[in-house]
Order: sequence, then structure tokens, then C-alpha cells
Amino acid sequence: MTEEKKDKNPEIVGFACSFCSFKASEMAGSLRMKYPEGVKLIQVPCSSRVDPAFVIKAIFEGADGVFVAGCHPGDCHFIKGNYYTRRKIAALKEMFNAFSIKNKIRLFWVSASEARRFVEKVSNMYNEIKEAKT
Amino acid sequence: MKGKRVDKRLIEGALRKFLEDEQHLVLGFEKAENRVKHRLFKKNLQDYSLFNPYFSVNGAIYLRRLFSKGTKIILMLRPCEIRAYGELTKLSQIERESIIGVSVDCFGAVSLKNDVQDIPTEVDALKDYFDGTDSMRWPCTVCRERKGVVGDAGIRVDTKGSLLVFPYTERGEEFLSLFDDGYEANGAEMLIKTKDKVESFQSDMETFSKDISKCIMCMNCRDMCPVCYCIDCVFNGDDYLPKGDALLNKVFRSGSAMLPQGRELFHFIRMYHVSQTCVGCGACEEACPQGVPLTKYFKGISERLQGMFSYMAGRNFDESIPYLTFIEEELKDAED
Ligand code: SF4
Ligand code: SF4
Ligand code: SF4
Repeated sequence: MTEEKKDKNPEIVGFACSFCSFKASEMAGSLRMKYPEGVKLIQVPCSSRVDPAFVIKAIFEGADGVFVAGCHPGDCHFIKGNYYTRRKIAALKEMFNAFSIKNKIRLFWVSASEARRFVEKVSNMYNEIKEAKT
Repeated sequence: MKGKRVDKRLIEGALRKFLEDEQHLVLGFEKAENRVKHRLFKKNLQDYSLFNPYFSVNGAIYLRRLFSKGTKIILMLRPCEIRAYGELTKLSQIERESIIGVSVDCFGAVSLKNDVQDIPTEVDALKDYFDGTDSMRWPCTVCRERKGVVGDAGIRVDTKGSLLVFPYTERGEEFLSLFDDGYEANGAEMLIKTKDKVESFQSDMETFSKDISKCIMCMNCRDMCPVCYCIDCVFNGDDYLPKGDALLNKVFRSGSAMLPQGRELFHFIRMYHVSQTCVGCGACEEACPQGVPLTKYFKGISERLQGMFSYMAGRNFDESIPYLTFIEEELKDAED
């Protein structure tokens, strides 16, 4: 955030759970679906592994947006990890909201079979942020 | 609620009785030369003070250094200190077993950064002092949790200036049983009232950056925060504010790198990390050598984030910290 970005193409960091959302991104690849290049994925063992400090760090080091993606509620490989994720990210959003920078963060639920949903979610986020930048 | 009408002499008598046992301690306040300090009392209660109108640190911070093996301790502290103690017990940082936490009604406090001395420590004079002065520290002027209603027991002041003891838990009953005398008291009107609710905190990055621009990253605010308890803080390593090899690696990997200044990053992460446990005591601000208005942000954000879960740090010792639990059907708005 402290570094001025000259180009208008957003960079987005996504934390994706290896059991679902990350699998969905792989499937999107094998089905030759396209999503914006500026989206960089980081695989995590469960969305609840994402300490909001990771999200904050990504933003402050220059990412235009960050998303956290996990399995749908009830489907967590670790049974209830994503419920904790939801509380943590909801609170983080509220904090970003208090600083008027809410647009920078998203929370998605994408299962392993939902390649299309994954592509839609990240593309929408990308486009919204890109529009806000211009 | 059933309690006892007591006086200063009776309170000290009760604490003395408790201290007769070699293994018992009282953590409270001592009148020292022209100010009041925290002190751990053993056997005697010399220069004991029930109230402390000076704020230097949040007393709960000492508890992390006390391992009460076989020792029983009564805490006679301010509400913000008892609340921080409560949060630390929920985080398994302190063993609650051997501790009786007593919150004492608080009139507010002055900052030690101001040159104020000889503030009264007795009820009547104390309340007049704070009514007639504007030297109260900012975090206390916005404190809405000054009532001694948290912990195992409370010591409260009624509108006539008399003291009352109320038990809130079994251990509080144990505390009450130390008083042989005193009348039974119900339903007196209390002097310390809750202030009105304020609007939810709102800011923006520009104001925030400006406010913290004087920060020199000494991290005193973190070290003096009673609820910032991690031994391995992420800011102790090289991952968050890289130096040495970590910084060079970063430059060679990405072509250029921001030199680690990281004030915003540091405060943002700390703000999130204490968001559910911050008691708004302002110890962070007191510790800051640069006069950064930290409480405004930390208290503001934490009230907003605790409010989402109808939680208030330290209010109820049996309530779980929101990040440690969940409800299946909630927060649908947060999902994109
Ligand atoms: S923050 Fe509240 S409880 Fe703590 S010293 Fe100030 S007025 Fe008293
Ligand atoms: S962040 Fe500041 S106000 Fe909050 S508990 Fe820590 S020291 Fe007290
Ligand atoms: S105590 Fe003050 S100067 Fe030191 S890190 Fe905290 S805000 Fe910065």
C-alpha cells in the first residue's frame, strides 16, 4: 500500500484450501478455463490456517486484493475449520471497513468440483478491483 | 444482590486475615512517595491503597510473570486490570485456580507522563478531584467499564461514598467470608455509572498514517499490552519486517523491496490480534515514548469487532473468546 503502483493491472493474492478451492483451480486449469494472470494462489492446508496477519501483510506489501477460499460450511476436511475462518475473516473485513478499505478482501467457498465457480469468483473480484483502480 | 457494607478499615482487616497464611499474597496498590504503585503484599499490608489514581501499567501484565505454585493470590485491581486477567485465563495464560480477582470501582486515572502529584486516594476527595480537573488521561475519559462488576467479587462505592463488597462467584463468596463485620447491603445507588454508548469507530488510511507517523517501532506498546501475550511475536523474526539475508533475498527475488519501516503493518496486525481481547486500558498509549494516540484505534477497532459477536473482553469469565468458537448459522454477509 505504501508503494505506488503504476500499472492498472491488479495483483491479487489468494489463499486456497488444498482440499477444495485449490483443487478447483487445478481443475479449471485442466479444463483450460482462464482466469486473470494477476491472481497468485497460495495453497494452505485449511482456510483456517490463514492467520489474518498473512492477509494484512499481503495487502501492505502491495497486493491490490486478497481472498481466502475454503470448502463450503459443513464440508471442511478438518470438520469445522472453515467456521473459524468465517469468524476471523468477517472480523477482518469489519476492521478493513473501519479504515474504509473494505474492497480489498473477499471470502469464497468453492468446493473441489466447482472449477467454474472458482473462475467466476476470482474473475469478478479482479474486474471489480481493476475498475476501482482506473 | 447480596453484599456487605464495609469501610476501608474492614477491607484492610479482611486482607490482613487472608495474609496470615504464609502462602497467601495480595496484588494491589501501595501509597509511595507522592504517587501510588502496584505492589505484591506478603504478610503485611503496609501503605496499602484501595484506589490508584495514577496509571502506569495494566496490573494484569504482572500475572504473566507470577507462577503461583501453591500460592493463593487476591487481586485488588481496577476493572480494566481484572478484565485483562480474565481474558488471559481464557487463553490459558494464567491458572485461575488459585486467584481471587476483585474489581474495585474506578474513578479514572492520570497519566504519569503529566507531572501530577499528590492526588487524593480517599473516596470523597478523589471523586471531587476528577470532577474538578481535566487531567484525566484520555483512555479513562472514554472508559465505560469503570464499575467493579467483573471478576470474582467487586468493591463498589455508593452515592453517599460508602464502600460495598459484592461476591459474583464462589470464590467471591470466599472473599466475602473474610469480613466478619459489616452490614448486609442490597440495592444502594452506585456512584460510578456506565457512560452512554458511543458511535462505532470509523477512520481511513490517511488519518491513520498521519497519526502514527511519529512511531519509531520500539514496540513498547506491544510489550506493555496486558493481552498481547505471544512469546513468539511475528515481529520478532525476519518474516514480517525482514532484515539481513531475508531482506536481500527479497530484493533479488522481486527486483526491489520496500525498506522495512512497517509501522502500519505492525499496528494493523497487532490491532487485529488483540481485537477480541483488548480491554481499552490505554497501557499501550502510556508506554509509547512518541505520544502516538494508540487507544483511539485499538479501543475503537476492538469495540467494533467485539460488537459483531456481542462480546466484551473480560465482562464474563465464562464467555468464550469469539475467535475460539463459532455458530454454524451466522455471518452470511461475510461470504462473497
Ligand atoms: S481504563 Fe477505565 S478502569 Fe482502567 S483505569 Fe481508566 S477508568 Fe479505570
Ligand atoms: S491494546 Fe492497548 S488498550 Fe488494548 S488491552 Fe492492549 S494496552 Fe490496553
Ligand atoms: S510504543 Fe509508540 S513508538 Fe513504540 S512502537 Fe508503539 S506506537 Fe511506535
